[in-house]
Amino acid sequence: MSARLVTSNVMLGFIPIALVIALWQALVSFGYAPVTLLPPPGRVFARMVQQLLTSTFQQEIVATLFRLFAGFAIAVVLGVTIGLAAAANPSVNALVRPLVRVLAPLPKVALYPALLLLVGFGHESKIALVAADALFPILLSTYYGASRVEQKLIWSAMAAGTPGREILFKVVLPAAAPSILTGCRIGLVISCIVVFLAEMITSTDGLGHVLVTAARTFQAVDMFVPLITISLLGLILNGMLEAVRSYLLRGFPEV
Amino acid sequence: MISWRTLVTRLAPLLASLGLLVIWQLASLALHNDSFPTALESIRVIPSLLGDPETLINFAASLRRMAIGFAVAVAISIPLGLLMGRSRAVASFFNPLLMVIYPVPKAALMPIIMLWLGVGDLAKTLVIFLGVSLPVIYHSFEGAKAVEEKMLWSGAAMGLSAARRMVRIVLPAALPEILAGCRTGLVLALITMVTSEMIARQSGAGNILFNALDMGQYDTVFAMIIIIGALGICLDAAFERVRQRLVRWSDPQFDIPLSFS
Repeated sequence: MSARLVTSNVMLGFIPIALVIALWQALVSFGYAPVTLLPPPGRVFARMVQQLLTSTFQQEIVATLFRLFAGFAIAVVLGVTIGLAAAANPSVNALVRPLVRVLAPLPKVALYPALLLLVGFGHESKIALVAADALFPILLSTYYGASRVEQKLIWSAMAAGTPGREILFKVVLPAAAPSILTGCRIGLVISCIVVFLAEMITSTDGLGHVLVTAARTFQAVDMFVPLITISLLGLILNGMLEAVRSYLLRGFPEV
Repeated sequence: MISWRTLVTRLAPLLASLGLLVIWQLASLALHNDSFPTALESIRVIPSLLGDPETLINFAASLRRMAIGFAVAVAISIPLGLLMGRSRAVASFFNPLLMVIYPVPKAALMPIIMLWLGVGDLAKTLVIFLGVSLPVIYHSFEGAKAVEEKMLWSGAAMGLSAARRMVRIVLPAALPEILAGCRTGLVLALITMVTSEMIARQSGAGNILFNALDMGQYDTVFAMIIIIGALGICLDAAFERVRQRLVRWSDPQFDIPLSFS
């Protein structure tokens, strides 16, 4: 794709976003929606910039990010480990498979009350919920990636005298990397969503809590700010993961 | 005659659920925590909970919202996703907008939507619709993008119009991927349903669950978790049946859902 085509595609992509904002502004300025219910976009963005500069709001973001990263990290470590183990070992597979079948379609938010009662109202319950929700996409894509590694690669490694354990780390793990990273990407988006929800349910800080407080006091402007912030955070994190991905997969053919 | 092996494979999920319940029972016996009832105590509450017409009405309301939201989302998302997959212009038109919306928790829009539409069915159904549509669009998009060009060329050479090519070639070819998206969407519909009812406590299963939590009726909390969990597993298994029937011709695919975005 030529550079010019890319720029024209990017321009095209901005149209719907601009349209949404224009529609939003039109709804307000033509009086279809009262300003108390739908504040004009300009005011929301001004408020957001103003909020982003205050240290209290920055602390809320830090609290949310901390939970997000902690839960996501746990999910990545557990997901990749269990996924690889299940792909490599038939008896682990026989144990993990039915468990995943039962646990994956379970709505994890429904488990949140149980987590609250068990581990308390602090960071732990939110991190646990994020980890539980992000775990399964990572686990499953690791499993599929690892079980689809070309057999010839493994045979050649064995023929070259590589011990079994090293084959797992030197052959299977790198070969499954594209699939694992796709799973991580899905897991990351889920982490963003879940951490916000958990903070909305019970929390004393974080972006979700900001939204709930604003909703209780009918501050419409303040309700939009955390939503736009989490959307931007999601975009930034996604971009970072994309950078990590293209660094890790630099030897792979373009996917 | 079913062999012993297939019997074990069929029953494995059931055994896994039983195993989880046993672990729960042992854990709560070991912990001796007032707010952590044993599995047996929680299961004992289920019959009285389900025998209560109030609960059943709540569940019916929840399921109706979920069904409507899911159906509308699927009906709109599949054509949109397929179009995006076949036309680069449509794709680059919608992609950035979808990327911006993606990380926003849809249930978090609930307080804002409630301001405009009230706490009734419409707001909750809309939130479920939003939650379901993104994964379905995404998977339909990926599925339509991967359709083999040669099949489309032969279709065009045999005089199929663009619209008919879409229905006769792209739709069936992308069907396995689309159904994978629908499966994700189904679980997501359940999650969004529970969360939206948690935020707008008016009716529904989420309402019972979180009200019980607030009032400290811990056995009801855990019983509701079992019921909602079982609902998720049953819906998923039922959908899997339908999926297998529809795409029997395709390669044996994953028997567990791949993504939960």
